[in-house]
Amino acid sequence: MIYLDSAATTLQKPPAVARAAARAINHLASPGRGGHRPAMAASETAFACREEAAALFHVPSPEQVVFTFNTTHGLNIAIKTLVKPGSRVVISGYEHNAVTRPLHAIPKVELRVAEAPLFDQHAMTEAFRQALDQGADAAVCTHVSNVFGFVLPLEEIAALCRDRGVPLIVDAAQSAGCLPLDFQALGAAFVAMPGHKGLLGPQGTGLLLCSGEAEPLLEGGTGSQSILQTMPDFLPDQLEAGTHNITGIAGLLEGLRFVRRQGIRNIARQERRLIRRMGAGLACMAGLRVFLSEDPEAQAGVLSFLPEGRDCEELGELLGDRGFALRAGLHCAPLAHKTAGTLETGTVRASVSPFNQDWEVRQFLRAMEQLTGR
Amino acid sequence: MLYYLIVCRSLTHAQRTAAALERGGITARILRSPKSIAGEGCSHSVKVSQRSLPEALRILQRAELSPKRIFITAGDGSYQEVEL
Repeated sequence: MIYLDSAATTLQKPPAVARAAARAINHLASPGRGGHRPAMAASETAFACREEAAALFHVPSPEQVVFTFNTTHGLNIAIKTLVKPGSRVVISGYEHNAVTRPLHAIPKVELRVAEAPLFDQHAMTEAFRQALDQGADAAVCTHVSNVFGFVLPLEEIAALCRDRGVPLIVDAAQSAGCLPLDFQALGAAFVAMPGHKGLLGPQGTGLLLCSGEAEPLLEGGTGSQSILQTMPDFLPDQLEAGTHNITGIAGLLEGLRFVRRQGIRNIARQERRLIRRMGAGLACMAGLRVFLSEDPEAQAGVLSFLPEGRDCEELGELLGDRGFALRAGLHCAPLAHKTAGTLETGTVRASVSPFNQDWEVRQFLRAMEQLTGR
Repeated sequence: MLYYLIVCRSLTHAQRTAAALERGGITARILRSPKSIAGEGCSHSVKVSQRSLPEALRILQRAELSPKRIFITAGDGSYQEVEL
């Protein structure tokens, strides 16, 4: 099988990830719960993972790196900390349901959508400027669209938010490990990311980078201040109630180490190269609408296309039957499809990881030629 | 043998404290705080030798890792808080 669905989860991982997870099952206990060797070894692994992430994303202290179960978990913490009933919130027109559903769950939130054409970074910056100038209590912005790979102008948007004193939440689901991301320079309030996509860790892992304290989504044991019936008021304990997924964290540590060794810029270059080759090949085929940016910098390792006159799910099935793993439909991002005009049809999405090769793209294009009759 | 326990607010804070001390050449071991000094319940401490404390405090000040409390003990179950 040729796997082209890394925007959902990377399937190929560095071998050290599985080895570390297997070792953790047998040798690591629960961080902070006991002073015995297996508990302390688990604590060391968790701390090493926090330090590795802090170094990769330029976070001042490892205490600001909070373990979550996925990006959605982190976004829920961030959104529910900053957004209250009646808050005015600016979001981009390319947000995932992981952003929009928590916002809709909070009563009377005034949502303002910064809309801009696909791959038009300048227009997106201007849309944010206009939306923020109307007054905002918070802003939430995806770094990369999970449907189209559109790289939003995050640095510019973060600067606009800083200038206006508006706290910014970044959804880095598609960019963490794939594009450079400097937490300190952005000055964001929170950055939420998965461990199981670009960071190449196991499913069930995620990170929330925090500029300061937050409101716990869960209450429970933390291995600290046990007498008190309130959650600790310091990070990371404040946001980490209950037993950690140390098996996942051990794997994530190896994923982070791999990404740092490879270099995020090298990974970005490789993924962009593959996507552009794929997009150029698909664009030559009849009956396909391909969402490929003219500016290579405006698109990361995700590419959507739409078969005209054919259901995208049907094409996804046909590709699956031929051994290609892609995802069709709305990708849990109806807002992004609405903005791009594909809400009625959905798209077929290909997405790559550092483990994809040129020959895989060639084989995929050959299969698509057969399926489109060219 | 006398040694000091630097009580930390969290395990992660204790790990940062121990890492800073180790980088500064001071042997530092993380352990669960004895119940009699833990204050609000479970906590972690960093153990350093008696002779290392002055240098340890200098290192922690430079690293902006202020200790919560410090106790001296002979390991016989008695702990005396040290004024910072």
